[in-house]
Amino acid sequence: MARFRVGVDIGGTFTDIVFLDPEGRVHTKKVSSSVDDYARAIVEGLREVFRETGLAGADVVEVLHGTTVASNAILELRGARTGLITTAGFRDALEIRRLRMPRLYEIAWEKPVPLVERYLRLEVRERINARGEIQSALDPAEVDAVLDRLLGEGVEAIAVCLLNSYANPVHEQRIKEIVERRVPGLPLCISAEVLPEIREYERTSTTVINAYVMPVVRRYLRSLRHGLAEIGVEAPLLIIQSNGGLMTADSAERMPMHIIESGPAAGVIGAQALARRTGMPKVITFDMGGTTAKASIVEDGEVNRATEYSVGGGIMHGSRLLSGSGYLLRVPAIDLAEVGAGGGSIVWIDAGGSLQVGPRSAGASPGPLCYDLGGTEPTITDANVILGYLNPGYLVGGALKLNAARAREVFEERIARPLGLALVDAADGAHRIAASNMIRAIKAVSSERGRDPRDYALFAFGGNGPLFAAGMARQLEMTRIVVPPAPGLFSSFGLLYGDVEHHYVRTYRRHTRHLDLSEVNGIVGKMEADALAQLAAEGFTGAATRITRSADLCYHGQSFELTVPLTAGALDPRAIAELEEAFGREHERVYGHRAGPEEPVQLVSLRLIAHGIPERPRVPDRIMVDLAPSPGSGTRSARRRVYFGATDGWQETPILRRPDLSNPVDGPAIVEEYDATCVVPPRAQARLDVYGNIVIDLR
Amino acid sequence: MSTIGRDPIGFELFKNTLFSIADEMALTIYRTAYSGVLKDGMDYSTAFCDGEGRTVAQGLTMPGHLGSFPDALGATLKRFGDRMKPGDIYCLNDPFEGGMHLPDVFILKPIFYRNERIAFAGTVCHQTDMGGRVAGSNASDSTETYQEGLRIPPVKMYDAGEPNETLFRLIEKNVRVPVRVFGDMRAQLSACHVAEMAFLRLVDTRGLDTVKAYMQELIAYTERMTRASLKQLPDGEWSFEDWIDDDGIDYGKPIRLFVTLRKSGDTLVADWTGSSPQVKGAINNTLSYTKAATYTGIKSVLPPEIPNNDGFHRAVQVIAPPGTIANCVLPAATAARGLTGFRMVDCIFGALALMLPERVFAASDGGNTGISIGGYYADRKPFIYVDFICSAWGGRPWADGLDGNASMFANLSSHPAEVIETEHPLEILGMEFVADSGGAGMFRGGMGFRRDYRFVEEEAVLQVRSDRRAFRPFGLYGGKPGRPSVNIINPHTEHRVVPAKITMTIRQGDVYRHELPGGGGWGDPLQREPARVLRDVRNELVSVEAARRDYGVVIDPQHWKIDETATASLRAELRARRAGATLPVVDRSGANGD
Repeated sequence: MARFRVGVDIGGTFTDIVFLDPEGRVHTKKVSSSVDDYARAIVEGLREVFRETGLAGADVVEVLHGTTVASNAILELRGARTGLITTAGFRDALEIRRLRMPRLYEIAWEKPVPLVERYLRLEVRERINARGEIQSALDPAEVDAVLDRLLGEGVEAIAVCLLNSYANPVHEQRIKEIVERRVPGLPLCISAEVLPEIREYERTSTTVINAYVMPVVRRYLRSLRHGLAEIGVEAPLLIIQSNGGLMTADSAERMPMHIIESGPAAGVIGAQALARRTGMPKVITFDMGGTTAKASIVEDGEVNRATEYSVGGGIMHGSRLLSGSGYLLRVPAIDLAEVGAGGGSIVWIDAGGSLQVGPRSAGASPGPLCYDLGGTEPTITDANVILGYLNPGYLVGGALKLNAARAREVFEERIARPLGLALVDAADGAHRIAASNMIRAIKAVSSERGRDPRDYALFAFGGNGPLFAAGMARQLEMTRIVVPPAPGLFSSFGLLYGDVEHHYVRTYRRHTRHLDLSEVNGIVGKMEADALAQLAAEGFTGAATRITRSADLCYHGQSFELTVPLTAGALDPRAIAELEEAFGREHERVYGHRAGPEEPVQLVSLRLIAHGIPERPRVPDRIMVDLAPSPGSGTRSARRRVYFGATDGWQETPILRRPDLSNPVDGPAIVEEYDATCVVPPRAQARLDVYGNIVIDLR
Repeated sequence: MSTIGRDPIGFELFKNTLFSIADEMALTIYRTAYSGVLKDGMDYSTAFCDGEGRTVAQGLTMPGHLGSFPDALGATLKRFGDRMKPGDIYCLNDPFEGGMHLPDVFILKPIFYRNERIAFAGTVCHQTDMGGRVAGSNASDSTETYQEGLRIPPVKMYDAGEPNETLFRLIEKNVRVPVRVFGDMRAQLSACHVAEMAFLRLVDTRGLDTVKAYMQELIAYTERMTRASLKQLPDGEWSFEDWIDDDGIDYGKPIRLFVTLRKSGDTLVADWTGSSPQVKGAINNTLSYTKAATYTGIKSVLPPEIPNNDGFHRAVQVIAPPGTIANCVLPAATAARGLTGFRMVDCIFGALALMLPERVFAASDGGNTGISIGGYYADRKPFIYVDFICSAWGGRPWADGLDGNASMFANLSSHPAEVIETEHPLEILGMEFVADSGGAGMFRGGMGFRRDYRFVEEEAVLQVRSDRRAFRPFGLYGGKPGRPSVNIINPHTEHRVVPAKITMTIRQGDVYRHELPGGGGWGDPLQREPARVLRDVRNELVSVEAARRDYGVVIDPQHWKIDETATASLRAELRARRAGATLPVVDRSGANGD
């Protein structure tokens, strides 16, 4: 019996499936996503792989899944009809939000519609103060009455968030008991169990999101498991979380808030695994597809995480300067910066005569001009065809025929002539502006956080990542680019690298100098016990578990914390002193100064990550993928003219396949693959490393 | 040929870089500040300016500060000009020498490259306290600037890298919460440091001459874009008038605001001649603040891509005679001038609504209400809570006014109730929309909200700056005005209504309630889709009675259904009652049942 692990990544258009066995054998499948029931396409795709390879359900030992089901439910407002129970006077916290809007001077700004409409937000009279003391007791009869009203309205899920419940959850717990007694099985979420942290809007929003997607995710996962069982796949189903860790489908049903950004996480986790394996200490990941580009950081083998982000908020996940868009979710997620730039981004000229790219996209339909599917506006993909980066005849291994003449004609008329530029200069300009927009994403995760991108390797994947990587790297003065095998399918591969991981946080606001150490150690001990119990339920015990701890600190008065590691074992005064010092150093690194030693430091939250460690490495060192490149590439005669900017101009450039790089090749060169095109510019050298990655060094 | 023409791409790259420097400065302050007014309220701005003090890029924070940097840098340059050295950092807050009001402290750092001054990094932050007779330094009832706190003309904060100890000691002795103020000042210094590092890297990579040329080109580009957009607006002259309730000293005496927009070709003049002489209360504007208010209205009807810099200011001229509330002179008090700025924004939007009926909203809530609660704990340590809250937008020609959103003039965020309760001797008893507060209209005004504060220490001074009590947020083109604001002490027991502007003592257990005004409505309420009215009724934002009275919509609250027949006849009856009278373009009073 074969032992394949299967990664399944759902995108808006395609569902990617990758089979991998311990020897590194790979089978892949790209099928159209089935938007009405995503599970169907997955099951169909697996069935096709079985048919093509002769494998059977019993050959699959694990299914790893990245899904956009939860985020789509929010973006399309198709989650459950949800009721909210809150403290008297606070039912509008969810809708008032934090008042701020993400743009200035925009009279047409619309706030995102609240996920729970006002008449489904009901209040109970109770009050617990900031110290956790009950000032006004909860009346169970009132809870009954409120519940009757919500049930009368036909709610499918209930969220509960009471004021100051982070300091004392007893009233929320009481409501939970009542709801569970009266309506067993109703999706229910109390804030103390999902986010015991200060700040009522952030906590309410997070609790509501969890409740809102709970029935959708539950339905979906049950349908998927059912479909898998039908084709004989009885293997465990694991879902990748926004934070990059895997969780069982059962846990995901209870805490779906952790899988909202499941989709983009997989690629970063794959990049992390490759960075660890190849020993690259500092990596910026760059994932560019048809409509968006995402950047993230892997440092010393660790990904960076944001403590909160906005679902559907666009642009920078971690940045609060543009806050107010989307739906705030305060759970850890891989810190991604995302910009609306992809192959489909439209190229245009603004009123001031400046060339612009995006954020509008021609998407897959009508698509770029060269697709000849009715597109009328020039796009970045058209610019790339004009510049010779893309094969003017075909894409996707010959499956998509291109019309390069049409791209040239319209680009000339709409862009080059009005700007008074030659066609190639206009196309090159558009290409470079797209690159500069994406550089904003890279800077958001690097230079804005005090990191110099020149110290990092650029790890490029996604359908368009390897095409833009070298040009962007040069602008940022980065010198190394790494392109993994099958870059267009890399997110599905990334799933195969994931490990079981759970994140916990507890608010604990105290001055570091007035800590009750036995209390702190008690809290941390309890968190560890909970985490180990969760891992045990998933089959990880003893040496197969690892706990890492950290603390969020700030100077007393600040609102924005920095996270620093917490040493293992019981905390003593020395450990606390070390913690203070580590915080001071981090503050200086990030902001250029630290306060004097007399300035009080405040502990805000304790964090804990629990890892489940598999018995052996989950992915073999070398992966064998062989996908068809475009017709004609890699033959002796395959060359075309490619434009490399004003300095280098047009160059006769060889068109290669990945295996051609087994001996180092000097740029310029283009590497065409089934799912992506990699550009090696002049004054660069490309080669394959032992893992099959293309490594480009810029001089 | 312009510099863009030679290299449009290089220019675009430069523009992105410079804007990200200004935004990076803003983020640095957000992340390192100590006070709620900055870290939660975000009442601050950052700017990047050229070596002569012309603004090139401004961070995405406070519109109310737009246009304030030229005056601040102008005053500083006038004083120090050629004497500036590398390592110098300047500081000021004097409204009569570059500042706006005392809490807004500017920290400005010249950036040198090989001993040539090539740029300035500038920040302005609303400090929690700058001394004076009322904690928070925001009092609206001071009558001369000398009562308001420590006045700092342009001075050196650092001299060639060395801190000016005299200045720091003076500040320390004059403000109530020096630790917080110095923490916030360090945040400002960090932002300047971050900008300097990033900009010098840019100069290293692009070359000094290119960077200098591009800074000028970025200003010229903005001016071109502004003028191209202005050209597309109709030519003509439009005037608008509105009144502030009073100045908090002469109770009940309205204060006139009057603006005339003169648009011809690609230039626009906003002339505030005809506005009230400066007043005794502390709501007098500096010219820079009047400009910021004017720019905010105009920018909102122009394309959003136009950058915030000096080029925009060149195309829009602002006139305000000295000695008026729009351009005050010594010894005017200015602490609570935010009020006047907000109301000027309403006024300029009113004039723009006459010019562009389809593009402008009815009056919003009149700007934020400023609340300070300050005093001393039993151990004589001070506490100061400073908050600015706002909520409602006016109805728009295409959509309802927003409920619970920051003002266009001040993109502030609200302080979380739970954080307030841990940091101040206060409990927040509620924060919820006030039903029927939004003015009726085809597109209704946004709802104001109320917030209840319970004070738990011994004694404090409560100081409130609010307005729109007598003069309600106006409706437009048939829309009704929004409900006025109100301040109530102990709403559940004595229910004592107090004036819109107060400075008073409160004691343990007292509850202070503020209700924000609602936005004005836009268009005839009888034309509002009944389904929208039903939805508002269902959400308890509009009462069943108001649905009948203001919208002519009859709702059965048992089944949440519209009674179509009754609605049709009621609407016909309400129309008939108008007896052919046309609805007013601007409606300031007389609806919503009072």
